[in-house]
Amino acid sequence: MTSDVSRIGTAEPIAQPVQHAGPVSYDQMDDHELLRLHVAGNPDTFGFLVRRHRDRMWAVAIRTLGEPEEAADALQEAFISAFRRADSFRGDAKVTTWLHRIVVNACLDRIRRRQVRATDPLPEDEDRAAELAGPAEEDPAEVRERRLDVLNALKQINEDQRSALVLVDMEGYSIEEAAAILDCAPGTVKSRCARGRAKLLPLLRHWQTTRGGSDDSGVPEKTAAEAVGTE
Amino acid sequence: MTDSGLPTSEHLEHLDTDTIADLIENLLPAPEAHRAREHVKACPDCQQTFDALVQLSEDLAEEGRNDIPMPADVAEHLDAVIVSESVLRSSTVGVHSLVQIREEPRRHLPKLLGAAAAVVVIAAIGVGVVFATKDDAPGGAAGINPTNVPTGVPTLTTKDVGPQAQRWLESSSNPLLHGSAAEIACARTFASSRPNPQLRLVQPAKVNGQRATVIGLQGESARDVQLFVVTGCNESGGVADPFYDTTVTLRNR
Ligand SMILES: [Zn+2]
Repeated sequence: MTSDVSRIGTAEPIAQPVQHAGPVSYDQMDDHELLRLHVAGNPDTFGFLVRRHRDRMWAVAIRTLGEPEEAADALQEAFISAFRRADSFRGDAKVTTWLHRIVVNACLDRIRRRQVRATDPLPEDEDRAAELAGPAEEDPAEVRERRLDVLNALKQINEDQRSALVLVDMEGYSIEEAAAILDCAPGTVKSRCARGRAKLLPLLRHWQTTRGGSDDSGVPEKTAAEAVGTE
Repeated sequence: MTDSGLPTSEHLEHLDTDTIADLIENLLPAPEAHRAREHVKACPDCQQTFDALVQLSEDLAEEGRNDIPMPADVAEHLDAVIVSESVLRSSTVGVHSLVQIREEPRRHLPKLLGAAAAVVVIAAIGVGVVFATKDDAPGGAAGINPTNVPTGVPTLTTKDVGPQAQRWLESSSNPLLHGSAAEIACARTFASSRPNPQLRLVQPAKVNGQRATVIGLQGESARDVQLFVVTGCNESGGVADPFYDTTVTLRNR
C-alpha cells in the first residue's frame, strides 16, 4: 500500500517536472524554482519549501502568539494558504518575504479572533518550555536560555504591543509596513512599541545585563518605575 | 504615578519608563519632549533607563534574526498536513479545472501527475465538489479572489460518510489529517480511548447539517477503517461526541 503521490521528502522528483532534464535534487533548487514546480502541479516541492523555512516561520509564529498550540495552528493555516495561493506569488519578490507575510497575517488573524471571543486566557504549558527552547544538541545552552527568556517576557505583555514589537523590533519591518500589516496608524504602532518596550525592560533586565556585560553587575538595579518620586 | 504633568524642576521627579520610551519614539508633545530630554541628560538614573530601552530594541533585533527550531511533533504534523493537501489537490483536479477555466482560460490541468495520481483522479470523479479546496486564507497576499471555490468542509449526510470517506482513504496510504491542530488533537484523544487507536482520517465536515468531524481508525484488518462522526472537536477544549459510526473496507489498489 504505497502511493507515490503522497510521499514527501524524497530527493528525487516523482513525477517528472516540466522540461526538467535529468534527476536534479530538490534540495539544490532555489525557492522560486520549487514554488514554480508546485504551481505546475508537482506534489512534492511545496513540502521542501516548508521544510526549508519552517524554523524561521516557527520563530515568527511562536513569538507573536506565545503559545505553541496556537503557533502550530497558525502555521498550518498559513502554509495551507500559501500552498493554495502559490499562483498569486509575484516572481519579483523573495519567496521568504511572501511566506513571512502570510504567516504574520495568519498569526494576527488568530489574535483578532481570540480577542473577539474574549475567552479565558490560554493555559500555561510549562512542559513545553524546554521543547520551545529547541533541541539541546542543536544550540548552546546560552542561546536556548535567551530564546526562552524573550519568549516568556513577550508572553507577559499585551497582544497588541507584542505583535507591534515583534514586527518592528524583531522582524525589522518599518513602522509604515507594520502599520499596514496591523491595519492601524503609524503613530499607534510607535506607541505600542514604546509601551511594549517599557513593559519588557524590567522583564529582560537580567537578560540584557548578562549578555551585555554591564559593569554594575551584582548591584540590583533600581527600575525607573521604582525610582519615580523617591527623591 | 503620572509624569505627564512634568515637574517644574527637571531634577525633582524621575520620568517613568513609559515616558522615556515615548520620548525615544518621538511621541511626546514638543514642550514635554524638551523637558524630558533635559531631565534625561541631567539624571543618571533616567539616562540609564533611556540607554537600556535603546539597547533592548537592539537586543530584540538580534534575537529576532535567530530561527527557532520547530518542535519535532509540530514539524511532523505539518508534513502530514502538506502531504494531505497535496493528495487533496491531485484529487480535485477536475473541480479546480472548472474554476480555473472560468478564471484563467490559459491554465490547463496539471500534466505532471503520475500513474498513481491517475487512480486518485478516477476516485475523485464521484466525489465532485465536496472535495474542493477552501480558501479562507489570512488576508494580505495579493492575488485571485477565489470566491467561487467551495468550502473545504464538505457537506454530507450520514449515509454518504462511508462511501465518501472510503474514496478519500483510497486516495492515499498515509493518514489524512485535516482540520486545525486542535481538532486533530481532539480526534487523537478520542482515538486513544478506543481499542484501535491508530488514526487514518480526520476530516472536518458538515454532517446532517451540523459541524462535525469524521474520524477514521484503523480496523482489524489492514483494509478496514472504522469511521466515527463526532461533534465537539471543532470547539476549543471540546470532547469528541460520536453520533454515527460505520466501517468501510478499502479496495486494493
Ligand atoms: Zn530621573
